[in-house]
Amino acid sequence: MPENVGPSLIMSDAASRRQHFAAFMGKSLLFLITSLSTIAVFFIFYFILKDAIPFFKLEGFKEFFTSARWYPSGSPAEFGALPIFMGTGLVTLGAIVVAVPLGIAASVCLSDLLPFHVRQIVKPIIEVLAAIPSVAYGFFALVVFAPMLQNHGGVILSAGTWMILGPLFALLVVVLGDLIVDKLRNIVKSPKLAGAVVFPVLGILAVSFIHRLASQLSGVEISSGTNALNVAVILGIMALPTVVSVSEDALQATGRELREGSYALGATRAETIIKTIIPASISGILAAVILGVMRAIGETMVVWMASGNAARIPDPWYNMLQPVRTLTATIAGDMGEADHVTGSSRFHVLFAMAFCLLAFSFIMNLASELIVKRSRKKLGK
Amino acid sequence: MRLETRKLLDKAFSGLGLIAIGVMAMALLLILTPIVVRGSKAFVFKGTIEHRRVMLEQFDRGNTDTFTQDSAKVAEARAPLYQMMEDFEAEMKGMDRSRRKEYKSAYRDIEKSIKVLFGPMPGQRTPVLLRQQYGQTRWDRAQIKLHEVLYSEEWDYSNADAMGVLVETPRVELFTNTTLEPLFHYLEENLSDMMLPKTTFYWQFITDKSKDSHIFGGIWPEVLGTIYLTLGAMIFAIPMGVIAAIYLCEYAKEGRVVSFLRICISTLAGVPSIVFGLFGLAFFLNTIQVSDSKSVLAGSLTLSLLILPTIIRSSEEAILAVPRAYKEAALGLGAGRWHTVLTVILPAALPGILTGVVISMGRAAGETAPIIFTAAVSVGAPLKLWETLSQPTPALPWNIYNLCTEHEAVDEIRHVQYGMVFTLVAIVLLLNLFAILMRARISKKLRG
Repeated sequence: MPENVGPSLIMSDAASRRQHFAAFMGKSLLFLITSLSTIAVFFIFYFILKDAIPFFKLEGFKEFFTSARWYPSGSPAEFGALPIFMGTGLVTLGAIVVAVPLGIAASVCLSDLLPFHVRQIVKPIIEVLAAIPSVAYGFFALVVFAPMLQNHGGVILSAGTWMILGPLFALLVVVLGDLIVDKLRNIVKSPKLAGAVVFPVLGILAVSFIHRLASQLSGVEISSGTNALNVAVILGIMALPTVVSVSEDALQATGRELREGSYALGATRAETIIKTIIPASISGILAAVILGVMRAIGETMVVWMASGNAARIPDPWYNMLQPVRTLTATIAGDMGEADHVTGSSRFHVLFAMAFCLLAFSFIMNLASELIVKRSRKKLGK
Repeated sequence: MRLETRKLLDKAFSGLGLIAIGVMAMALLLILTPIVVRGSKAFVFKGTIEHRRVMLEQFDRGNTDTFTQDSAKVAEARAPLYQMMEDFEAEMKGMDRSRRKEYKSAYRDIEKSIKVLFGPMPGQRTPVLLRQQYGQTRWDRAQIKLHEVLYSEEWDYSNADAMGVLVETPRVELFTNTTLEPLFHYLEENLSDMMLPKTTFYWQFITDKSKDSHIFGGIWPEVLGTIYLTLGAMIFAIPMGVIAAIYLCEYAKEGRVVSFLRICISTLAGVPSIVFGLFGLAFFLNTIQVSDSKSVLAGSLTLSLLILPTIIRSSEEAILAVPRAYKEAALGLGAGRWHTVLTVILPAALPGILTGVVISMGRAAGETAPIIFTAAVSVGAPLKLWETLSQPTPALPWNIYNLCTEHEAVDEIRHVQYGMVFTLVAIVLLLNLFAILMRARISKKLRG
């Protein structure tokens, strides 16, 4: 056995250089692997654009963005994608209407109202909603929700009206009634009596208004359950978790000081939230809305399965009860046929659509990043 | 405003928030209930003698002796029925021409729907199509088919403004005073004896191949395809994602390059899934040609790009959550940076990283749009492991779409569709449950 020589504490120059070199190489390798995702982004842009440009070269821009005639397999083929853009817009708008008020209310509730242990129960609900695969939502929309809409459309619409307008009008009645009673105080002697008259009158007015609207809607017959409304509701539910979690983060980021300051001034919890917390975290909430929009626009399976896929502009344009067609569904649905005709306008038009989607989501993403960054700076974090 | 009103408003406001949460919970319940309830019926249902016949003949499963006994009983119960039909055919021959004509097509309809209900008649040549070789395998379908024998359906479009109205007339009315008249009553009364429904627990639904495009059998090719795709995506995404997270947390100095990297990662996270699909087609298949046709490999690569940002983010969070003291202690003991990462930080962050990995596994398993053009086919056999490099596969998400929109008998196989959705949702939710439990354990450990 040779004498056991332990490693010397001071490295030789050569060894030190070797180690530096190894560390540098390792770091470069790590950097390379990290930048793979950057390369992926560039490749995605490049390859989508590469196949999109031939379309614009062949067909130009004007027809694609302004014409309402979509006959890609006709002769001559027509590529007016306006109805498809409109369909995407309409469905997304509907999804926002569902997801944003619900999402913000829920996130306020989660961050400020619920005690800790209840929050632990509610959070998994949101996670499960986010985890359900989109094809399962699509299946639900097509197999369960669409027949329901078709057979009991009126009932569902009127129930929905009650559900949305009921709580809102209740709030409105309270506020308005209070204002009126306040005004009457100078004229009438007993404010209690005034209140006893004003509140029921307003309440009956509100209820009768909702009732009239609801009974009108209950007469509506929906000819096809696969329509923009169906998809908008489901997309709204799918976008909810995104909206809730991002805006809850924003609300939490405002910190205790603001809340305590507001309470110290005598504000109630509702006033604190509405007048202080929400304005302070408005940019984060905006980012949440943007991300929700992106989720709704980029979704494929639900719209493909349940939107009806009719490439025409609804009449009138805001009619949610008619079938529509979206960009994502067109790409998914037409590629199967267009795959055999690689190189034709019919193939490239789908890449043109994908590029529009990509560009839009890129801009939206940048905007939300920017907003979040600025709000962080403002809050000093 | 008066104080009472402000208090009332405060309560009302809280109420609104609670309503929002309630609506969300209700939506979840509304969506999951039909999927779970009807999905479990693909596994537990009342199976008829025909189901047992399929199992025995197609899958070599079940007890031959009891089946022989049962099928003798069934044949006995069905015999009078076939006797009546034979008698009626004889009666028809004796009729004059115009009357025979009147009955003939109606009788053919009945004969056809009885074949659908019970399978081929005794003495008939074995049909070519598998679906015609057997009757209804499920008691609920059998009852629907019974209804079709008993009633003829017609759509009434006489009112041009409204939707068509379904008119059902009992077929027995047509055959009053013939030898066929008692058939309808007999059929209605004795269907149970002719089918012998028995509660069946068919867990092999997951592991059986499908026969005759999902009319019989299970969903194994789809399940296996989903497993391949998910694991394949993980093989590519985990090393890339975790290494990127290590670099971003431990090595990179905040600056232009890193913030550019971060923007790219969040852009990648925002790319719509269908665009990933197109990219996979244009790049992996058409440009570098990882395989000649669609393949599991191409699909996995596409999916791995999709989940890469999620894995990077969650790994970053997990690494950042490791207390600084660990790292400082390791560095203080003279360990190098890489050594510290490998032996101290990664083991401590492992549960957190695993949580993110499991969640993105669920995401990869459920994504449909990226695999449409890169990996999925509607019908196919389960693949061997090496075939995944060059062959496309059926996969749960794609086949759910395919079965409920493009299958030729959409209504006949609702239970298969529900079963598939149930299986997929169960896989994804189990993965998520695992992640949630693990996260709870981690936070407990960090707190305690």
